[in-house]
Amino acid sequence: MLEARNLTKTYAGEGSPALDSVSMTVQPGDFVCITGRSGSGKSTLLNVLSTLLTPDTGEVLYEDMNLALLPSRKLDRLRGTEFSMVFQMHHLLPYMTAVENVCLTFMKGLGSVGTQRRNLAMECLERVGLSGKEHKLPGELSGGEQQRVAIARALVSEPRVIFADEPTGSLDKATGQEVMDILFGLNRDGITVVMVTHEPEYARLAGRHVQMEDGRIISG
Amino acid sequence: MNILTIPFRNLRRKLPRTLLLGLVFAVGISSVVTLNYLSSVVGESLEKKLTAYGANILVTPKTETLSVGYGGMQLGDVSFDIKYLDQTAAEAAIRSIDLDERISAVAPKFAILTRINDIPVGVIGVNWEQEISIKSYWAVDGTLPDREDQVLAGSAAATVLGLKVGDPVQVEGATFSVAGIIKPTGSEDDQVIFAPITALQQATGNPGRAHFIEVAALCAGCPIEDIVAQIREKLPDVEVTAMQQVVQQRMATIGFVKHLALIVSLIILVTACFMIGLSIFSAVNERKKEIGLMRAIGFSRVSVFAVFCLEAVIVGVLAAIVGYAGGFVASLELLKVLELAEGATLTFAPGHFVATLGAVSLLSLAASAYPAYRASCVEPSQALVML
Ligand SMILES: Nc1ncnc2c1ncn2[C@@H]1O[C@H](COP(=O)(O)OP(=O)(O)OP(=O)(O)O)[C@@H](O)[C@H]1O
Ligand SMILES: [Mg+2]
Repeated sequence: MLEARNLTKTYAGEGSPALDSVSMTVQPGDFVCITGRSGSGKSTLLNVLSTLLTPDTGEVLYEDMNLALLPSRKLDRLRGTEFSMVFQMHHLLPYMTAVENVCLTFMKGLGSVGTQRRNLAMECLERVGLSGKEHKLPGELSGGEQQRVAIARALVSEPRVIFADEPTGSLDKATGQEVMDILFGLNRDGITVVMVTHEPEYARLAGRHVQMEDGRIISG
Repeated sequence: MNILTIPFRNLRRKLPRTLLLGLVFAVGISSVVTLNYLSSVVGESLEKKLTAYGANILVTPKTETLSVGYGGMQLGDVSFDIKYLDQTAAEAAIRSIDLDERISAVAPKFAILTRINDIPVGVIGVNWEQEISIKSYWAVDGTLPDREDQVLAGSAAATVLGLKVGDPVQVEGATFSVAGIIKPTGSEDDQVIFAPITALQQATGNPGRAHFIEVAALCAGCPIEDIVAQIREKLPDVEVTAMQQVVQQRMATIGFVKHLALIVSLIILVTACFMIGLSIFSAVNERKKEIGLMRAIGFSRVSVFAVFCLEAVIVGVLAAIVGYAGGFVASLELLKVLELAEGATLTFAPGHFVATLGAVSLLSLAASAYPAYRASCVEPSQALVML
């Protein structure tokens, strides 16, 4: 469903490329783990795949559509619907409650977030085990709970692919495991997951393991 | 919940900042509103005062006159063939021009030189109501006349003729009583006696005749030349002259007041706009991660732009409501304190209020456009990893 062809990316002012002719494919239902040393280009690859970043050369095909040829309006829509993202930092808006944060993606225009969408958000929070904490502000939640709200926020648009960049990076081992269990569960429900991680253990559990070094894929 | 929730929450979260910003904007708006109300009301009352200063258009019959003077000595005008105006027709014609609503008074004059108690004196026949409206600077001992058997004496004339209030006077065989004596004005009015025009015309056998007509046009920036032209059109055979100096002085005074108000208003508003712009700028810098996140979950650049612009517009609209109300109240109070309001009234103008709201929305939009544009340019992949 997702195919990267010969991606290269060199950040302005950097000598060596962050991505150096990277090609890979993701099949529907895959759980792909990307590992590698710090600075090897994992986040860069994930951002290019998820349309947050445009590559210098090469292309990304999603369902045989060349993303580089889509107008930015369509890319915005893709990120709000079929693609979702989870980051190392939860990036919750501190002035909105858990359920409001989950609903944020529906607040793009003047149309009101209806009861239906609000209920959907409640369901997503339930799915990540946060029933009863819907109306708490992020500051009143633990780190693990905050990350779970972020996952619920990614779920609410009913995406086909979730891109996660070190989602357990700022959590302790036990909490990290809880978050991983949720992601594995979502993958079992049919959502494709592309995840960057430093934990070799998660990579082993994942269906596919891609290893990177100096901007290249060295295995997977 | 919709896109407005985001700016509203942020404004609530930074309440002191919001209040300060709103206050500055509101003060700016209320001073603009106050200045505007005041300048219009003051303009109006100034207008009334200036009108009281006299007429500004003179309607006279066309006469062939030679100014006779020799060796620096003015011997007066010699007029051949004195002509008269047909008073009723001329008045009607003046009142029928297109800009007739600008005309506040039409004051006909019929002047004679006669003898009272054997002393030569000028008697001017006037229409009491019209004359008094253009000579509102007259202060009178006794009462202002309103009857056909009363006269009003200039101060010097009264002294020379030995007239007192209530004295009977014989003019061309008709008997009048002195209703009042005008306190010294420093003008020609001091030297003469004013009598009702109809009675004077009758007494001298000149019914319906007038020597000249003074017209007072209300002119807060009105086209005096147009009024003159329109009267000329209606009365082709008479001389119509604008007393330019009076008019221009009048316009200049009002223009100055308005300009001053405009400049002060603009300075205050520009300052408020800068503050709004700066504040949105700092909000954009503070919330770069939030912007990155919004882009990552599908907000378009336009939506991000809107989030920040709306923040400014909400402050602007709230400030406009408070500022307008404040400005209106301040105008009322100031008018009382400065005692400028005589003859002028201040009324709430809903259209004006709506226009203010619209203008302020546009202004805050303009003030926040650049920072909001910068927000829409934030690179999400970079913003999201910032510490
Ligand atoms: N915005 C940027 N500007 C310039 N250089 C960048 C930028 N982002 C990343 N880089 C550089 O590109 C290279 C790859 O960075 P990337 O963030 O993809 O690494 P990573 O594998 O995700 O590392 P980590 O495990 O530390 O997150 C690094 O050398 C990094 O310094
Ligand atoms: Mg990274």
